[in-house]
Amino acid sequence: MERRLLAAVICTPEKNPNLSPESTAAVLSLITNPFTSDTTLSSLLDTLILHLQNPNSDHRKILSLLSALSRHHSSLCHRIAAAAAAASFISSSSTSIASIPHALSLLELDHSAEFDSFSDESLFLSLCFLQCVKTRRWMLRNVSRFHVRPSVLLTVLLGFTKDPYPYIREAALDGLVFLSNGIVVEDRSLIECCYFRAVELLFDAENSVRCSAVRAVSEWGQLLVALNPDTTKRDWSDALFVQLSLMVRDTDMEIRVAAFNALGKIQTVSEDILLQTLSKKALAATKEKKFPGQYTANLFKVPAMAAAFTFVHGLEDEFYEVRRSACHALQMLTVLSAEFAGGAVHILMDMLNDDSVVVRLQALETLHHMAMHDHLKVEESHLHMFFGALIDNNALIRSAARKTLQLIKLQKLAVFRSCIDGLIKNLELYPEDEADLFSVLYKIGRTHGKFVISIIKEVSQELEPSFDGKLGFNKVRTAALLVLAISAPVSLERRICSIPPQMFSYAVTMLGRLSCGLVDVMNQSNLLAYLTYCSRFTVASASEFSKGEALEFHSTGNVQLLKRSDEICGDLPRTSMDLNKDTTPLHNYLLNSHVKATSCMEIVLGKVVDLWPMIQLGCWDEVVRTLRSWKQELKKFICNSRQPAGILVFALKYVHVIKLLGKAWACYFSKRNLQFKGMGVLESLLGKTERRLKEMLNRYAGLSREETLHILELMLVTYTLRLSYGGICCFEDYMQKLNFVLSRVEYFRKEGPLELSHFVNELQNISSEIGNSEDGSIHKLYLLQKSLNLFSLKHFVLSGELKYLDAEVVVCDNDFQNPIPFISGLPVGIPFRIKLYNISNETRLWLTMTLGEKSTQFVFLDLDEFEGCNAIREFTFIAPFYRTPKVKYFSLRVSIAMECLSEDQHFKHRNGPKHDLVHLCKGKEVHLSMAVK
Amino acid sequence: MDIECLVLGAGQEVGKSCVVVTINGKRIMFDCGMHMGYLDHQRYPDFSMISKSGEFTDSLTCIIITHFHLDHIGALPYFTEVCGYNGPIYMTYPTKALAPLMLEDYRKVMVDRRGEEEQFSSEHIVKCMKKVTAVDLKQTIQVDEDLQIRAYYAGHVLGAAMFYAKVGDAAIVYTGDYNMTPDRHLGAAQIDRLQLDVVITESTYATTYRDSKYAKEREFLKAVHKCVAGGGKVLIPTFALGRAQELCMLLDDYWERMNLKVPIYFSAGLTIQANMYYKIFINWTSKKVKDTYATRNAFDFKNVCSFDRSMINAPGPCVLFATPGMISGGFSLEVFRQWAPHEGNLVMLPGFHIKISISCCLCSKTPTQIRLDQDVFIDVRCQIHQLSFSPHTDAKGIMDLVKFLSPKHVVLVHGEKPKMAALKEKIQSELGIKCYYPANNENLCIPSTHHVKAVASDAFLQSCLCPNFKFLETSSEQDSELAITHNIAMPQLQVYDDRVCEGVLTLQRDQNPKVVNHNELMSALGIKTHEVKLAQCCEVSREFPDYRHEHIYSNMPPLLLKGKMPSQNTSHTVNSCCTSSMAGEELAAKTTTARWKLGGGFELELRFEYEIGGGAERGEMEARWWVFWDEVVLVEDGGQPVVWGLEVAGGGKGDDGT
Repeated sequence: MERRLLAAVICTPEKNPNLSPESTAAVLSLITNPFTSDTTLSSLLDTLILHLQNPNSDHRKILSLLSALSRHHSSLCHRIAAAAAAASFISSSSTSIASIPHALSLLELDHSAEFDSFSDESLFLSLCFLQCVKTRRWMLRNVSRFHVRPSVLLTVLLGFTKDPYPYIREAALDGLVFLSNGIVVEDRSLIECCYFRAVELLFDAENSVRCSAVRAVSEWGQLLVALNPDTTKRDWSDALFVQLSLMVRDTDMEIRVAAFNALGKIQTVSEDILLQTLSKKALAATKEKKFPGQYTANLFKVPAMAAAFTFVHGLEDEFYEVRRSACHALQMLTVLSAEFAGGAVHILMDMLNDDSVVVRLQALETLHHMAMHDHLKVEESHLHMFFGALIDNNALIRSAARKTLQLIKLQKLAVFRSCIDGLIKNLELYPEDEADLFSVLYKIGRTHGKFVISIIKEVSQELEPSFDGKLGFNKVRTAALLVLAISAPVSLERRICSIPPQMFSYAVTMLGRLSCGLVDVMNQSNLLAYLTYCSRFTVASASEFSKGEALEFHSTGNVQLLKRSDEICGDLPRTSMDLNKDTTPLHNYLLNSHVKATSCMEIVLGKVVDLWPMIQLGCWDEVVRTLRSWKQELKKFICNSRQPAGILVFALKYVHVIKLLGKAWACYFSKRNLQFKGMGVLESLLGKTERRLKEMLNRYAGLSREETLHILELMLVTYTLRLSYGGICCFEDYMQKLNFVLSRVEYFRKEGPLELSHFVNELQNISSEIGNSEDGSIHKLYLLQKSLNLFSLKHFVLSGELKYLDAEVVVCDNDFQNPIPFISGLPVGIPFRIKLYNISNETRLWLTMTLGEKSTQFVFLDLDEFEGCNAIREFTFIAPFYRTPKVKYFSLRVSIAMECLSEDQHFKHRNGPKHDLVHLCKGKEVHLSMAVK
Repeated sequence: MDIECLVLGAGQEVGKSCVVVTINGKRIMFDCGMHMGYLDHQRYPDFSMISKSGEFTDSLTCIIITHFHLDHIGALPYFTEVCGYNGPIYMTYPTKALAPLMLEDYRKVMVDRRGEEEQFSSEHIVKCMKKVTAVDLKQTIQVDEDLQIRAYYAGHVLGAAMFYAKVGDAAIVYTGDYNMTPDRHLGAAQIDRLQLDVVITESTYATTYRDSKYAKEREFLKAVHKCVAGGGKVLIPTFALGRAQELCMLLDDYWERMNLKVPIYFSAGLTIQANMYYKIFINWTSKKVKDTYATRNAFDFKNVCSFDRSMINAPGPCVLFATPGMISGGFSLEVFRQWAPHEGNLVMLPGFHIKISISCCLCSKTPTQIRLDQDVFIDVRCQIHQLSFSPHTDAKGIMDLVKFLSPKHVVLVHGEKPKMAALKEKIQSELGIKCYYPANNENLCIPSTHHVKAVASDAFLQSCLCPNFKFLETSSEQDSELAITHNIAMPQLQVYDDRVCEGVLTLQRDQNPKVVNHNELMSALGIKTHEVKLAQCCEVSREFPDYRHEHIYSNMPPLLLKGKMPSQNTSHTVNSCCTSSMAGEELAAKTTTARWKLGGGFELELRFEYEIGGGAERGEMEARWWVFWDEVVLVEDGGQPVVWGLEVAGGGKGDDGT
C-alpha cells in the first residue's frame, strides 16, 4: 500500500507539474501515517523538492505539504529547510514569489547554525522590496528573526511606515517597537523622525495601524525623552503624555487599552498635566500650554488640554480591559504627585464598585501602591467602599482590600470602629480568611493603639468569660477583638498599660490560631512569651508593685537575674516576668542601696538579654525607655566613682551599642519603612554601631576571649544587616570586612575550645560558600538574610577587671579670644598638655590635627620619651603644624588616636598611621590667628 | 457639487429633529420628529420646504430614522400616511420594534386623554412601519446605485444609531442623539475614522461639562438607601425606556451587594414591555450586559416586582418606578399625590424637564404646595432629590467625536442657540474645522469633495506595488531651542514614499485623464531621459520663447520639489520653487492655460500626488491633484544646463544650483 501510494506520487512530476488532488491526498496520508518507513519518506521528500524546483508547479501546495512533513517527522527538518531556502532564493516567477512566506516559515524549523538565511541581509532587502505585498508583510512581521544590522532595519522599517497598504504600515510600526527595545540610537534626528512618523500614524484611518502606532509612539517617545538633556526632558515627557492621552478617546477598545498601557510607562509627568487628567475643564496651569506633536491630521501642536479627563474617561469605560489598564496606569502615575493621588482616590474608590473582578483587584492594588508611597488619603465617605470590598465574595479582592487597609492611617475613632466592624464582618462571612485577618487586625491595632484601647474598653464586658466560666472564643468577634487587644502594647503610640492584662491570658488560649495568623510577625514561642509577659506586666507595674513585691525583688532579685538562660525563647515566662519587674524598680533599688557598681552592671548586662525578644517583637519604645533608664543609672555610678571604672564605662558602651543595634534591627525588619525612608537611617545606624563596636574592642585592655568573641559576633550582625539590605553597592567591601572578622573568630577558636553560636557557624558556612562561588555572590544575599534569624543576643558576662584606655588633651592657654599666633606658610608649634590613662608603651599613639573636613596631619607620640607609668602618664608636648593656610584666622581640631594593629584596614597616609584609628578623646579646638606685628 | 443641508427642525432648538441633506443629487431626510412643546402646526417640520408640489416620494431618496424618541420619529406616520411619502425608510431593528409602541402611546395620550384631534391613527402607524427597512450596525446598505448608508452604534437609547451616507465622493455622518460615555446598560458611541465632508451632530449639551457619573450614582444610591432605611417610600418617575432600566440596574446591583430586602416596583405597562425588548435586543446593549448574559440576563432584575395600584398605601418602605417621567399625569402623578405629603418619602426627579411640567416646578424651587388644578393642591413635604443621568453626550464628548472624525465641516443641530454659538467657536478655533448652526428652514450649502477620476495604466499600478521611499533631511536651524519653546512642527528627517508620485498624468484632448509610468510616456513620445540639473529660484517670464524642442518632461527629484529650495532672491520669484495646489475646477482651468502655452504634441505635463486611500472597500482610487510646476526646466543629456522656457530677468542668470 505504502509503495503504491509512493509510486502514484513519484511518477507524476514530469508529466504533471501540479500535484493532482489524488496525489496530494496520497502524500498527506503517507505523511500522517506514523508507520510510513523512512525510506519512503525520504523519497517522498525528494519528489516534493523536485516539484519545488519546477517553476510551473504550485509552490504553495508543495510548501504546505513540506511543512506538514516537517511537523510530523522532525528528522527531516534540516533537508526541508534547505530546500525551502533554495526556493526562496530562486523566486523568479510570480507564482513562486507569493509562496516565499511559506518557504521562509519553513526555515525557522531548522535550528542548525550552519544554514542561516536569516542572516543574509541582501536576501532580506530584496525580499522586502519585492512587488509581492504578502511577502513584504511576512518579512516585516518576522523582522525579529532576521539578523540584519539595526541601522538597515531601522531605515527599511521607517520607510515602510509610508506604505499605502495598512498592514505593511502596521507591521513596520510593530517592527519599530521591536527595534526600539534592542538598539541604541544616538542620532536625534532619526529618533525624532521615528517618533513623529508614529505620531502621524496615530491619525491613520485603519484601527490596527493606530493601535501599533500607539505602541510605537510610546517606545520611541521614551527614547526621545531619554535623549533630551534634563532641562527639556520634562517637557518632552509631558508632550509624550499629552500625545498619548489623545488616543484614550479613540473608539476602538484595543487602542484605548494600548494608550493607557503606554501612559503607565511614562516616568515623569508634570503635576499640572496629571491634575488636568482628572478635570474636564481647562485648569489655569495648562490652559495655554502647547506641546510639539499632532492634535489632528492637520494641527501640529497638541494643547495640554488634550489630556483633560483622560483617566476618568478610562475608568468609566465600557470595557473592563480599558478600566483595568487605566487603573494600572494610575498606579504608576500616582507616585509622581501627592495632589494627583489625592484627586484620583475619589474615582478609584468608585472602581471598587466595578462589576469586573479584575478591575476591582487592580483598583485595590493601585490603592495599595498609593498607600505604600504615603499618597493615600482616605476620607470617611470612601470607607464604606472599602468595607464593601472586605465582604466581596472573591477571596483575592478581600485579601487585597485588607492589604491596603492595614496601611491606612485612620484619623477618627468612629471610622476606626467601623473599620474593625468591617473586618469582623469579613471574618464572620468568610472564616477561611482568619489567619490573614488576624495579622491585619494586629497590624492595624499596632498603628492605632489609642483607638484600640478605647474600643477594648467598650467591649471588655463582651470579652469576659460568661457565668459558667467559659470563654466565648469560638465566637469570631471575640477572637478578633482579642487580637486587636494584644496589638496595643506594641503600638507606636506608647499606650501600653491600659489593656486589661487578663486579655492577654485569654489570648493565650487561642495561641495556635493566633500564631497561625501572626506568623509573619513572630513565631509561636515568641508570641507566647509576649502574651505571658504582657499579661503580668501591667499587674506588676500598676497594682502589685505597691503591695510590696518590690521588696521581695530586693532580696532575691540579684540571684535570679544572674541565672539567666542564654536562650531567649526557652523558659520565657520567667524571663519576661523578671524583666518587667525590674524595669522601674531597678532605678529605685540602685539609688537607695549602696550596691557595688559592678553588681549593678551585672544586672544590667543580664537584663539586656531579655530586651532582645522585645526588640524582635517591635516593642521598640519600651526597650528604649528601659535602656535609657539603665544608662542613667550607670552614668551615675561613673560620676560617683573617683576614677572611671573601666568596667562601668564598658557596660555603658555596651548598652549604647545594643540600643543602636536594636534600632537598626527594628528598622531593618519593618520592611515598609526600610523601603521608603529607612535606607539612610539604617545605614547611619549601622555605621555608628560599627564604630562603637570597634572602640569596645580596642579601648579596653583585658577583654577575655569570650568577651571579644561576643563583641565580634555583634560586629558580624552589623555587617550582615548591612550586607543583606543591599542598600549601597559596597558589597565587596563589607564582605571583606565580614570575612576578616570571621577569620578572627576562627583564630580565637584555634587558641582554645570555644562554643560558637549558630549564627556565627552559619555565617562561616555562607562565607565559604560565597568565597567558592565565582560570580553569584550577590545571589547569596538571601542566605545572609536568612542567617539573621538565627541570631539571638547572649548574656554578656564580664569576667575580670577592664582597663579603659583614655586620653585627655588640653591646649595650653588657648581659646577663641586668645589664639596662638602663626605666620601663614610657616610651621607653628602648638603646646599640648596630654594625659594618658592605661596606655602601654607599645601602643602606637598619634596626635591628629584636622583642618577643615579632610586635611589631617598626624604626629606620632613616642611614649618612651615621656615620663610616667602605664596607668597614668602626664606630659606637655609641642607639636608642629606645618600646613598653615593663607587666612587670617583658622582653627584646628585636635585629638588623640590609637592605631589598632588588630584592624585589617590599611590607611594610606604618608608618614601617618597604617591601620585603623580609634580616637581616645573628644576633639579639641585649637584657635590660631595671623601674628600681628 | 455642494452638499445642501436643509434644516426643517431642531435648528437652534431641541425638538422635531429633521434635516434634509442633498448630496450629489441625492436627497436624504434624517429623522422626522415632532416637537413636544407645541400643539399647533409648529409641532411638525415644515414639509412644504421639501417640495412645493407635495410630491415627496420623488423628491426624497430615502428617510433615515436614528432612534425611537418622538422628537426624532414623531412626525413619521404623518409624513408617510398623511403627506403621502412612499419611498424607503431606514432604521435599526430595535428602533423599528420600539417605534410603534412609542407612537401608539403618544397617540393615545393625545387623543384619549387630552381629546385632541387625531393626527394619525393606529392603522397609520402600522402602515407606516411596514414601509420601514430595518438595518443592522455597520451593515452597508446600497440604497440605490450611488447612495450608500451605514449605521454605527450611538449609545443614547436602545437601537440609537449614527448614520453614514455616501454619494460618489461626498460623505457625511448624521449623529442623531448619542452618548460618548457608556451607561450601565448601553455602550458608548462607536464609529470608524471616515473621510467625511460634513458631520451633522446634536449639541444638546453644547457647553456643559459633566463630571464623572460615579459621583452621581453614589449620591443617588445614598439618598435612596437612606430613605428606605428610614422606612420611607421612594418614587422615581421616569421615561419608560432607557433611564428606567439604567436606574433599575444600578439599584438592583446595589440591593444585591448590600443585601437589601426592600421591594423595588415597576409600575405595570410600558416599562415592563420595554424590559422585554431590552432582553430581545441584548446585542445592542453595553459590553457588561452582554458579558453577564452568559450567566443571566441583566434585565431579569432579581429584586424587582411589578406594582399594583392597591399597594400605593401599603405600609413599609419601597422603591417605585413610575411613568411618565415629568409627573405630567398618569400613574406617576397619582402616586406623587399620595406620597408627597409625607416627610419620610423621597421623589427622584429626572434632569431634563419641559417647562410646564410639575417636575420643573419641583426643581426650580422647593415648594410646599403645588397647584395641580383649579382647586386641587398637593402639599409637598417629602424630600426632593434631583438626578440627571443624561443619555446625551456633553461638550467634551462632542469635541472628542468631531476631533476623531475630523470632517471638513460640522453642522450643529438639536441644541440651544447661544450654546451652539459657543461650541461653534470652540470647534473652529481649536480644531480648525468650519462649523455652522443653521436655524430652522435654513438651507446651508457646503462645498463637497469632488474627485476627477483618472485611469491608471497597468505599468503604473505595477510600479505602485514596489516600495520606493526616500528620506529627506530638511536644512533647518530650528533645533533645540525650538524644542523648548514647543514650536517644532516637523522633525528634521522625514520619510517619503514616492511611488505614488512617480507617475505622470496625461490629459489629452477629449479623453479621460490617465496616469502612466514615466517609461510609458517616454516610449509613447519617443523621447530620451532628461535630467534636470538646474533648479533655482529666479524670476520667470510668462512668455515662452522660441520653442524648439518638444521635450517636455521633468524628472525633478521629489526631494527638490517638496523641500524648501534655497532661494537667494525670494522677493521676486514668481513660482518655480513654490508649490501650489489646486483642486477641482480650478485645476481644469489651469491645465487649459498650460496646454496652450506649451503647444507641441502635448497638452500638459503635470506632477501629481496620488493616494490609495480608504482601503479596499472604496473600490475606486482617489487622486489628489497637485500642480507643482508651471514651467518646465530642461537639461539635455550630458550637455550644459540649459534653461528652457525660462527667461531670466534682471541680474542675469542665477547661480547654478544642483
